[in-house]
This record gives sequence, C-alpha cells and structure tokens, in this order.
Amino acid sequence: MARLLRAALLVAGLGVLGYGGYGFLTDPYITDPVSVLVWAGGALVVHDGWWLPLVCLVGACAVRGPVLRWWLIVAAAVTAVGLPAVLRAGMPRVNRTVLPLPYLRNLVLVLAATAGLALIVALARRWRGARGGVSRRAGPQTPSSGRPARGRKGSRE
Amino acid sequence: MPRLPAPPRVGPFREGAFRSPLHEPRTAVVLGRWLGAALLTCFLTGLCSHLLQDPPSWLAGRLPSRPVHGYQVTQGLHVISGIAAIPLVGAKLWTVYPRLFEWPPVRGVLHALERLGIAVLVAATLLELFTGLLNTLQWYPWPFPFRQTHFWLGWLATGGLLVHVAVKAPLIVRHWWRVAPGLAQRRAFLGAVASAVGVVTLTTAGQSVPWLRPLDLLAPRRPDLGPQHLPVNRTAEQAGTGTVPPGWQLLVDGPRPYRLTLDQLRELPQHEVELPIACVEGWSATARWSGVRVSDLLARAGAPPGAAVRVTSLEADGPYRVMEMPAPYAADPLTLLALRVNGEVLDADHGFPARIIAPNRPGVLQTKWVARLEVL
Repeated sequence: MARLLRAALLVAGLGVLGYGGYGFLTDPYITDPVSVLVWAGGALVVHDGWWLPLVCLVGACAVRGPVLRWWLIVAAAVTAVGLPAVLRAGMPRVNRTVLPLPYLRNLVLVLAATAGLALIVALARRWRGARGGVSRRAGPQTPSSGRPARGRKGSRE
Repeated sequence: MPRLPAPPRVGPFREGAFRSPLHEPRTAVVLGRWLGAALLTCFLTGLCSHLLQDPPSWLAGRLPSRPVHGYQVTQGLHVISGIAAIPLVGAKLWTVYPRLFEWPPVRGVLHALERLGIAVLVAATLLELFTGLLNTLQWYPWPFPFRQTHFWLGWLATGGLLVHVAVKAPLIVRHWWRVAPGLAQRRAFLGAVASAVGVVTLTTAGQSVPWLRPLDLLAPRRPDLGPQHLPVNRTAEQAGTGTVPPGWQLLVDGPRPYRLTLDQLRELPQHEVELPIACVEGWSATARWSGVRVSDLLARAGAPPGAAVRVTSLEADGPYRVMEMPAPYAADPLTLLALRVNGEVLDADHGFPARIIAPNRPGVLQTKWVARLEVL
C-alpha cells in the first residue's frame, strides 16, 4: 500500500513536471525560455552561493543565544518581504495607490518593535537566570539556553 | 566503477563544517510540512485565478458566480501563503544546506536525477516567490512575461515538490512523529521561523483581510487608500481614458440593438450591491456599487436566456480592453453596469462613466470605461 502510494505520487509528480515543462516551452508568450532559465539559475546561485553562506557565517561567528537568533530570523524575513517595497517606493510612478505607505519608516518600525521584544525577553531570561540560576542548573540537564548540548545524535543522517 | 577522488577537505566539504545539530531530518520534515502546505495552497489558489481569468472553452459556461467572496478569499490566500513561504523556504533550505556538499556528488543515474530534480524544485520555487512578490508591487525587472511564466513555473515547482516527497517518503515517514534529541534547540528554531511567518503575515495580510488593516505596514496596497477610498489597478491616465468622448453612449448589441446616454442609463431601475473588488496581486476592498443590472440590459436587447456577453472598454489598447463574461455572471442579479460607488459618481480612475462589477471575478475582468455590451 505504502509502495503503491509512493509510486502514484512519483508518477503524478513527473506528470505535473512534464505538463509544466511542455507548457513552458510551448507557450506563445514566452518567446525566450532561456532568459527564464538564466533568472532561475541566478536565483539558485544567489541563494545557495551567497545568501546561505552568509547566514551560516553569521550564525557561526556572531550569534550567541537563542534570543538574538530569534530576532535575526524574524528580521531577515521581514527585510526580504519589505525591502522590495522600500526600493520601489522611491521610483516615480503613475498609480499612486500602489505603494502608498512610508515603507522605509514602517520596515524600521517593525524591526525596532521585534528587536524591543527580543530585548525584553533577553533581559527577563537574564533576570530569571540570576535569581534561580543555581537551583536550575543543578537540575536535570536541559539545554535551556539553546546551546547544542545533546544534539550530536540528531545531526547525523 | 572508477575510483572516486577523495573528498576535498576545504570549506563546506570539510568534516564538521556545519556545526548546528539542526541540520537533521526531523527539523527538515517539520519545516517541509509547513512549506509544503504553503506551496500547495499557493498553487491551488493560483490555479483558481487562472481558471477564472482565462477559462478553457469547456469550462467558461460553468464558472460559478458564487460564493460572492470566492475570488477575494482565494487570491488573498494566494498572496498570504506565498509571502509565508518566503521565510519557510529560507529555513528549509538552510536546514538541508549541508546536503548540497555531500561526497561523492553523484552516486549513480538515479541519484543524479534526484539532485537535478531538487535543483529544478528550488530554482522554480525561488523564482516563483520572487516574481510573485514583485508582481504585487507591479515591478517587472525581468525580460519575460510575468503571468505565463509564473503559471508554468508553478506547475514545475509543484511537480518537483511531489517528486521530492515521493523520493524522500521513507525518510519523511521515519521522522514524521519522531521526537529526536536536541529538542529544546529545535523548538527555539521552529518557534523563530513561526514568528517570522507570523510577523510577515500580520504586516502584509491587511491588504486583503479587513480586521488586519491597522497592521498593514508593508503590503503594497491599503484597501482604503485611493480615489473614493478604493485602490486602482490601472489609472485613467495609464489607460488614456481620462476624458470621456463628448456624446458618449452605451451601445448594447444583440438581436434588438440600442443605445443609451448616461442620463437615460440613470433613469433605468438602479440596484445597489455590496461586492468586493479583488486583484490577483492580493489586495481586495468591498464597496457599495449601484447601477443597472447587466441582465436587464441584455434582456432589453433581446438576448436569449443563457447568453454570454462581450464587454468593450473605451481604452485604445490593453490586454483587458475586450472582456467576455460567461452566462452565469451575466445572468447574476448582482452583476451590474455600475454608475456609482459608495454613493458617488464613479471617479475616472474607477471607470467613469460606467464599469462592470460582478461577484467572484478577477479584478482585471471588472471592465472600466465601458463603451459596448454585445450579446453572444
């Protein structure tokens, strides 16, 4: 049963892929499929060759503790979504109902609000750690600070 | 088989180059579930849009004009799930990133095909999310047409996703319910990713979800900003219809063709409907429209029951200058040739002197600056 399901999924996926590929190559409006491939390849190269190494580098060198990591993940997502609006809002345009907001201000606002939240959480953790730190650390070994205390096994495969 | 060279011991190929314990299958499976749900929602709602906007001939006469909010909800979901997928795809690809540098890079034909399939999946998904996001800003820096490319890449990405799930099925099943070591850190990571999804959703979804409007900080639209408190997709200036020709008359073509001046149209029975106008770019806004029922206008021209209608705009050109409306919409009592919105005469940007408003239809087909209706 499981094998059958898996085979059906594979066949369905190949069918959808084939349909998409055929449609993509025969669509009368897509006159230059190579340009799409160039952009798709570019997306792959920029993401895997530049962005992810940068993330890994920042993670390995600069990030201490889960709160800062939390904020950096949120900030990266908000920036990815909001930055195009910030860049585009500066260009002249006819339709003033597209991008009607002060996007740079709003992006900074969201980043600041989430940073403030992270700061409060970090301070609260420090305060709690200072008060109950001794008795807590004597307890069972839970990696409460998020450091890879017992994660070795999980990293295999 | 020829002997493979020893693995290079530099950079990401180095043993232990990736130290985080989160590069493991359980995290990938959890993120994959979230991302898969977002991408499938995005694909199916996108398909909805294409079918409603550009139906194959066998389907055109069967498209439903209900639910009234159908298009608004599916297109809102399309853009919401697409934006949510941006942090999810980032986190998922980071989790499996070390696999990119596995050694040997290719273990056989099947393995090569699998890796090629992942390249197609990732490239199509990245480009799909990027072009989709920029389309919501009406920004097109690439040389290819957006709509067709976005549509076919959607099929390629979804096909790649299904193949990927089929290939990884045993691994996915093994880790679906497993609670692996390193739980606290994984929880923190998944919590951060969920927060990222939450923040980008809350700050953009207000363009289609009314009760999130106060948080609409980063969306390219605000449903209440624009002439007569409604956004505009194509302005009168862009369409070249800022001034209506003097002596404008609506021509209704059919077995008994006739013409009406604007004053004569205003003397016909007026109906008021509350309908959303919704765009594939994700924004939508509900307004009170009033005008003449399209079905009344068609009946007066001697249209047989079940007739479709072709609507022509005053625009000189543009892909939506001529629009065909299948019978279910033309017959719907909510479908109007609107003359007023929210109690005011239509602004030039909203289609003065008359525009179409119909339930459950893409915004680009709510033709503005109507010049002619033709019974089909």
